[in-house]
Amino acid sequence: MRAIRSSFFQMLAYMRRDMMLFAACPAPILAGLFFRYAIPFLEAVLADYFHMPAIISPYYRLIDVLFVMITPTMFCFVSAMVSLEEADEKTAAYLFITPLGRTGYLSARLGLPAVIAFLVTVILLPVFKLTTFSSIAILLLAACGTLQGVIVALLVAALSSNRLEGMAITKLSMLTVFGAVIPFFVKDSIQYALCPLPSFWIGKAGSENTLLYMFPAFALSAIWICFLLKWYLRKM
Amino acid sequence: MIQVSNLSFSYTRQPFISDMSFFVSSGEIFGFLGPSGAGKSTLQKVLIGMLTAYQGSAMVNGIECRHRTRRFYEDIGVDFEFSTMYEKLTAKENLQFFSSLYEKKTRPIDELLEMVGLEHDGDKRVADYSKGMKSRLNFIKALLHDPLLLCLDEPTSGLDPTNSRMMKNMILAERAKGKTILLTTHNMQDAAELCDRVAFIVNGKICALDSPHNLIMSKGAATVTYTWIDNGEHSASCPIDRLSDDEQLKRLIANNCLQSIHSSEPNLNDIFMDITGRTLL
Ligand SMILES: Nc1ncnc2c1ncn2[C@@H]1O[C@H](COP(=O)(O)OP(=O)(O)O)[C@@H](O)[C@H]1O
Ligand SMILES: [Mg+2]
Repeated sequence: MRAIRSSFFQMLAYMRRDMMLFAACPAPILAGLFFRYAIPFLEAVLADYFHMPAIISPYYRLIDVLFVMITPTMFCFVSAMVSLEEADEKTAAYLFITPLGRTGYLSARLGLPAVIAFLVTVILLPVFKLTTFSSIAILLLAACGTLQGVIVALLVAALSSNRLEGMAITKLSMLTVFGAVIPFFVKDSIQYALCPLPSFWIGKAGSENTLLYMFPAFALSAIWICFLLKWYLRKM
Repeated sequence: MIQVSNLSFSYTRQPFISDMSFFVSSGEIFGFLGPSGAGKSTLQKVLIGMLTAYQGSAMVNGIECRHRTRRFYEDIGVDFEFSTMYEKLTAKENLQFFSSLYEKKTRPIDELLEMVGLEHDGDKRVADYSKGMKSRLNFIKALLHDPLLLCLDEPTSGLDPTNSRMMKNMILAERAKGKTILLTTHNMQDAAELCDRVAFIVNGKICALDSPHNLIMSKGAATVTYTWIDNGEHSASCPIDRLSDDEQLKRLIANNCLQSIHSSEPNLNDIFMDITGRTLL
């Protein structure tokens, strides 16, 4: 426990020296403020200008669903970048042979950030949401969004061999988040082309207001995480 | 301290480390000597629990390596052949962080820095360190938690003679404190000087295992080589324990005709050549 806590704080200290990583942390709040206040304002202006009753507001649910994934993705992205650097400098290999060990390292770099991201999401979503959710829905969405963040982090950490590649892979893996957009726009059954993505089911749960769709999201996340974790550990 | 029996390991399908058996007692400096690519670092990685997909048994400090727990690492210090430091942090910040991972009380950082002559560089970022400074820093990192077993992978490679001497003295000082040390090297002088016993490793196999002294003695006595002039230069040699049988040498000495005479003691390098049929480098 001591080693996990210590290496988690080490990551925070390391982040402070890196403007880009440091800036990623308040991003969820900035995004939340934007979604909560700028978007309804924009909607009012646009609706007035085009003389239409609603332009963005049918997609408020989608914005909420995306917001659920922002915090975990940002936090997990930051720790993925830190662990890429640790893989580069071989400090990760060294940490594996200290009392921290592999499991401790994964807890400090993936587990703890994910838990914190989950808590932050559970707190921020009720504050910044544009549509109404039951508390169960908030918990399930935050949990699923967190798993999505873990998937992005593992994709980045497993597929890239340095920070530069990490940035590129991050952009690519963000695409997996946008699986959530499809059920809102593509009503045809072709939308199921994206059914292997957990985020697709989160979007589906949001667009059809059916929490049952969260089950495939959880199951798929588990499969993705197991697979990517194996891959990542083989690389280390 | 270490008990290895019938150990086999490979990264690929081809056999690599195959059917190794040996033991290392407590308080011993045990050397793995062999050319690069022989599998020394791989063997060490098995013993520190980094590679667990091995066959056979490797017990370290009473624990089978593939079943290692966090406790296992409280008593093992490792110095890899490459630097494993946070480059953006200073030496002290690095050492403080790595210290904080151990449950047990760790050694004072300033003292360790001073021991390797880095007392004035503790607040420099590791990225600004030279290669030699980094090796010294990585070495003291392995000592932080005062481990019972030290695994050092080529600790003196890339060091200048002064620093190399200093590090060897520190290794000997650790043994004097009763620590067990595993030393990987392809430098036979270091092996001969430091190790209580060495294992010659080639292509994943142990070809010989004994104290450097016994290995050298196994080759037999030193030889004496002498030269003289008689219609051009001639030279001949003779084992040092058979000099009185060499009539030619006796005659040359009697007539004061020798041009040069010198004895050459076999060294670990020669023994290595003899046993394995290849050089160390
Ligand atoms: N992670 C790895 N995956 C595959 N092969 C490896 C790996 N690490 C080392 N090897 C191979 O194993 C052989 C022995 O390496 P090593 O144990 O480092 O030798 P030494 O330390 O004796 O110089 C080399 O041929 C090397 O290419
Ligand atoms: Mg090596």
